[in-house]
Amino acid sequence: MSLVSSDARKPVRGLDVKRLLLTNEFGLLLLIVVFGTLFYSVSSGFLSSFNLNSMSRAAAINVMIGFSMMAVIATGGLSLAVGAIGVCSAMMCGWLLQEIALPWPLALVAAIATGALLGVINGMIEVKTRLHSFIVTLATMSLFFGIMIFLTQAQTYRGIPASFVSFGRMKVMGFSATLGPTLMVAAALIVLYNFTRVGKEMLAAGAKPQAAMLSGVRVGRMIVLAHALSGGLAAIAALLLVARNGAAIPSMAGQQGQDWLLVAFLGPVLGGAVLTGGKISVVGAFLGAVLVTVLSNGLLLMQIGDFWLQATLGAVLLLAVLLDLARRKFLERRAQ
Amino acid sequence: MSRLFVQSDWVTPMVVALSLGVLISLFNPAFLSTFNIQVLLEAVSINVLIALSQMVIIAIGQMNLSVGALGGLAAVIFAGLMEVFGIPPILAGAMALSVGLVGGLLNGLLIGLTGISAFVITLATLSIFKGLNLAITQAQPFYEIPDSVKLFGNSTLFGPFPVIFIPAALVVVLLVVFFNRLPVGRWLLAVGGNAHSAELSGISTTKTVVIAHAISGLLAACAGILLVARLQLGQPTIGDDWLLMSFAAPIIGGAILAGGHVSTVATVFGVLIVAQITQALVLFNIDPFVVQIVLGLMILTAVTANQWRELRMKHAGQE
Amino acid sequence: MSNIAFEARSVSKFFPGVKALQNVSMQMREGSIHALLGENGAGKSTLIKLVTGVYRPDEGQLFAGSEPVNFTRPHDAIAAGVGVVHQERNLIPRFSVAENMALSQLANHPITPINYADLNEQAKPWLDILGLDIDPATQVSRLSVAQMQMVEIAKALAQQTRVLLLDEPTASLTPMESKALFDVLQRLRDDGVSMLFVSHKLEEVKEICDTVSVLRDGVNAGENIAMENLERHDLIRLMIGRDESAAKARHSRAGGEAVALELINVSTAQGHKDINLDVKRCEIVGLYGLVGAGRTELAKAIMGAATITDGEVLRDGRTVKIANPTDALHRHKIGYVSENRKDEGLILEHSVLENAGITIWRKSANRLGWLTRAGVKKRTVPFLDKLAVKTPTLNQKVGNLSGGNQQKIAMAKWLAAGVEVLIVDEPTVGIDVNSKAYLHELLHELANDGTAVLLITSDLPEMISLADRILVMDEFVIKGEVKNTGDYKAISQSVMEHIHHSKDELRRAKSAVSG
Repeated sequence: MSLVSSDARKPVRGLDVKRLLLTNEFGLLLLIVVFGTLFYSVSSGFLSSFNLNSMSRAAAINVMIGFSMMAVIATGGLSLAVGAIGVCSAMMCGWLLQEIALPWPLALVAAIATGALLGVINGMIEVKTRLHSFIVTLATMSLFFGIMIFLTQAQTYRGIPASFVSFGRMKVMGFSATLGPTLMVAAALIVLYNFTRVGKEMLAAGAKPQAAMLSGVRVGRMIVLAHALSGGLAAIAALLLVARNGAAIPSMAGQQGQDWLLVAFLGPVLGGAVLTGGKISVVGAFLGAVLVTVLSNGLLLMQIGDFWLQATLGAVLLLAVLLDLARRKFLERRAQ
Repeated sequence: MSRLFVQSDWVTPMVVALSLGVLISLFNPAFLSTFNIQVLLEAVSINVLIALSQMVIIAIGQMNLSVGALGGLAAVIFAGLMEVFGIPPILAGAMALSVGLVGGLLNGLLIGLTGISAFVITLATLSIFKGLNLAITQAQPFYEIPDSVKLFGNSTLFGPFPVIFIPAALVVVLLVVFFNRLPVGRWLLAVGGNAHSAELSGISTTKTVVIAHAISGLLAACAGILLVARLQLGQPTIGDDWLLMSFAAPIIGGAILAGGHVSTVATVFGVLIVAQITQALVLFNIDPFVVQIVLGLMILTAVTANQWRELRMKHAGQE
Repeated sequence: MSNIAFEARSVSKFFPGVKALQNVSMQMREGSIHALLGENGAGKSTLIKLVTGVYRPDEGQLFAGSEPVNFTRPHDAIAAGVGVVHQERNLIPRFSVAENMALSQLANHPITPINYADLNEQAKPWLDILGLDIDPATQVSRLSVAQMQMVEIAKALAQQTRVLLLDEPTASLTPMESKALFDVLQRLRDDGVSMLFVSHKLEEVKEICDTVSVLRDGVNAGENIAMENLERHDLIRLMIGRDESAAKARHSRAGGEAVALELINVSTAQGHKDINLDVKRCEIVGLYGLVGAGRTELAKAIMGAATITDGEVLRDGRTVKIANPTDALHRHKIGYVSENRKDEGLILEHSVLENAGITIWRKSANRLGWLTRAGVKKRTVPFLDKLAVKTPTLNQKVGNLSGGNQQKIAMAKWLAAGVEVLIVDEPTVGIDVNSKAYLHELLHELANDGTAVLLITSDLPEMISLADRILVMDEFVIKGEVKNTGDYKAISQSVMEHIHHSKDELRRAKSAVSG
């Protein structure tokens, strides 16, 4: 029996639905609903129009930050510089808007290009020196941030055009309009990793660089592209933040952009990404970031201090990786 | 012949550190003033502990992102115990050190028992430690530091030598002995050098990982306590900027990130180099942010040089 | 007869669906070098893993001397006196020779300060026994591979070993270093040490071993036989279980075909010198050699994964420069089925479809760069079907499939890419008999349909049933060519002569230089 016919004859219902229910993504969705319900029951303000707007706006940014890290995780690396690159791109945008009075569509494009370019630098250093992306991005995180602070003298750019700021406040069906770009990017990423050669080659290069190389994949190029993608996505995240703040603030992501690191990993890891490379889930990372946002928002609403929030998120990351390990061990034992 | 090779580990950083000092003082003699040297040594005393805290983990081929958060947590607990509960400094110090120890043990056990990457585990614990820090301090510093502690952190002996130099120097000596003379120390280097081989010879990788992280936590706490003494404040932001320094100094000192090769003395000179550069920038009125740029470049250069040297050594053996 | 130092009695080891070892017995006696032979997949490595404590036997018992022993982890085996010198080096690179040798001591006494002078003193006598003239304080990373191996032997001896297990010890040694090693082993044997010598190099085994055990398909094919009673062909017969009667020879159709791939005076950065070979369309050219001869390295150089330093490579008569495997595949239609399935041939964590399609993603994408699953299926499934790949679905992780199916997928992806030249490296190692036959059929068909095939294999019967002609490679040089007449005995002799001739040449050249 040929594989084509056997593959086509697979029932679309029945077996498939059950497998769907067991996926990581569905689990995340379930947790979102559970926690959402929990928080609503504690405080009805959770689903107020104000809170929905604020939550969805935060989610849009968190998802994007997660995507930025996910792009590099796909090829088996990690980037400590996502925050720094994001801030640099946002500051470039701010400067172009305020000092050069560039029309905002151009400024946005320039910002994203800046992010991509900084990513390319990371990728090229990694490929040429064969150093691990951890140490490369540890160094470039300081390098980029330092240069940015030096050039801008750490000033905040408030000359953001009104249209841009109002976009940050806009609502569509109760949710923030900033979710729009995020959803579009998510769709594009799903296409990238499932329906394009580049995306698939990135995953192959991340899973087993040696095998991919011998099968005709340009591994070095894929790594550089992944970093470029990561930089561009970090830029978009920062731009969403600028829209929300109404200004480009150099400390928007903390010292050297460190504040983004936790969220950057939480999304993809909760979503099922394998840190050694080759396996990521766009939908998972999306839902993971949403879950983190819901948790953060809900805990704040419950008056559990802003300060306990960070500790909780750290615990969530810990729990997530431990559970994932347990799950993999369980599946291994079952396969024997 | 082989001993000379070992010596060359810290010779280069030493030469660089000394020439740098000479060079800077040529441009600005104030660099060698008593006051300046004191400031330099104060910075070195604390930074050396931060760097060694990371170095111990680099030795086993891992990385510890929570060095700053743990140090900061120990710092605020130190300050808080004295201010809120009136606990005497020595006891508070001991308790703060044990916080560092426990935090390190947590990291070590999680990593050693689960095999999950040190990066992710310490990223998670860093957030937990930082969160605890903020929860305890409510983002407000502890101001009420006992005078004895303030004195400890800011007095000098024999001219420019700060008192806090003594505990730092003591730690350096202990670590030199640890890595060179004590089997436990060699365990760390063995596991970092070839974990499989170490395991076959009966060295428990798990035990070694736990020990390394425990020491790392202890050293981070030490740094935090000394910093409170020097700053005369229990600042919740202590530790926020330690990440870069914790890696820069060991790397400049020749450490190989894959593990198995670190040098305590070379790291000390690495710290000295970084401290001199930071100070020089202040002296020459250069933007302090330039430090970050310089550090970033130095790390890239040093780590590339280390890698190249490692590859060359491997090829040399395969004649 | 001397005492038994270590024994495996009727041990068996099962894995899901595979009987790796069944009722195998082996004895290692004091003052003797015992050989363990077997083809790839015969159970050699499983037996070694039992003896070294990596696995536990499902049946049977191990004995250290006359005491039964049970190992739960490698450290137990070492403690019971099984010293192992593996193929890969197992030393701490930055530690000294003496410290490496004393590592177990350090493991047991965490806080006793180390006296390096004492350690050096302790190491000296063992180094002397082995004739190793190096300062025990030398950092191990500064030693040559041969010296490192000696250090490992010294280390094993220093730990009161009952039996010293050497796994492919000459794999990374030059002939001179191998000779030095054998001198040492023979001296140790004369001193009463018991050794287990695992190797596939029959000449070496004949040279220094006293007795031999042969494994075949997981069972004893020859148990503790005295080496002096055996000739090389006896060993081969025991290993492959058949007489070297005519293996099915190939009927080539390559007659007047054009040369698809040619190498003229090619030298590489890895040490190949003046390689000349050519493969015509419809032809299967075999490249025979012992492990370490440089065949895989040559294949990688052709694929652009290693640097060619001199000479020319021609594709269909035109000189080409192959910069990397992407070039080799997409521009020059050359494919390479790696000998290392797990790390180079496949991505075990990915699905069947993703593995099979990796070479044709570029082709399947439309002008907008859009790839569909259906598009990839269309180009790959016909080949998966042709190779009779058995998998529940196309999404199955390749790592979960059997070795035979994995290899078929590794092959299918090149067929899907429509390569015109295919280099196949050890295609049937560790594969069940049926899949092996299937792959052989496929290679015949491929060649007949026009593909130029370069076959690398150390399995002579396989070589004879597949190759039109056989090139013999040794020490990174091509030593000669043997026509495939189907006469196993004659061909085997011819091939061995080419290799030995090269070794004699080398020996003579070296003695001429030093003489």
